[in-house]
Amino acid sequence: MFFRAARRLVLRKPGLGIRGIHNPGDTAHSKGKIAPYTNYHAQRSYPMPDEPFCTELNAEQRALKEKEKGSWTQLSHAEKVALYRLRFHETFAEMNRRSNEWKTVMGCVFFFCGFTALLIWWQRVYVFPEKPITLTDEWKAKQLQRILDMKGNPVQGLASRWDYEKKEWKK
Amino acid sequence: MDTDFHDKYGSTVLTSRVTLCVATWTCTATRIGIEWNLSPVGRITSKEWRDQ
Repeated sequence: MFFRAARRLVLRKPGLGIRGIHNPGDTAHSKGKIAPYTNYHAQRSYPMPDEPFCTELNAEQRALKEKEKGSWTQLSHAEKVALYRLRFHETFAEMNRRSNEWKTVMGCVFFFCGFTALLIWWQRVYVFPEKPITLTDEWKAKQLQRILDMKGNPVQGLASRWDYEKKEWKK
Repeated sequence: MDTDFHDKYGSTVLTSRVTLCVATWTCTATRIGIEWNLSPVGRITSKEWRDQ
């Protein structure tokens, strides 16, 4: 019971609001509040919330609710559907439908990744110090030859990859 | 069923931003002078250093 109450508090956040669009012409729509400010939220893991979808009913809907208290064989198909829509917002098929939201989400992810590249660019231009002399190409070439002369890591490392007869890298 | 923002613009948003991301990162990685100090194997031609 406390779990349900806590869950209702959690689900009240707008971020977990109803994914679909409310059709404004929908007559079963609650007249007072609209998503995401109602307490109604159905999802695949919690498909039947405690409160009904429509809480403020007009006269016609109230009459239908009264009729529901009698025998259900008297209800027509359209009335049953109307009662369903009063109690629940969407069918299971509608609730579980796929969406293209992932495209927008991944698009935003990549956008911020790209923005990070721009930040690093700025950092390179305005923050990085001068490149030390040891990282220039000429110094690195000489350093390489010195290591090869010393036969550094001759078993599996750098010197083992160098062909000393042909004076080039081993293929 | 009504189309929402994601149906209309999702693919465009995704492809454009992926392209943007790839483009900025290739520029950052290659053109602006960041030293990655990759392995010299297969890449750097050695140079004689004892030329005092």
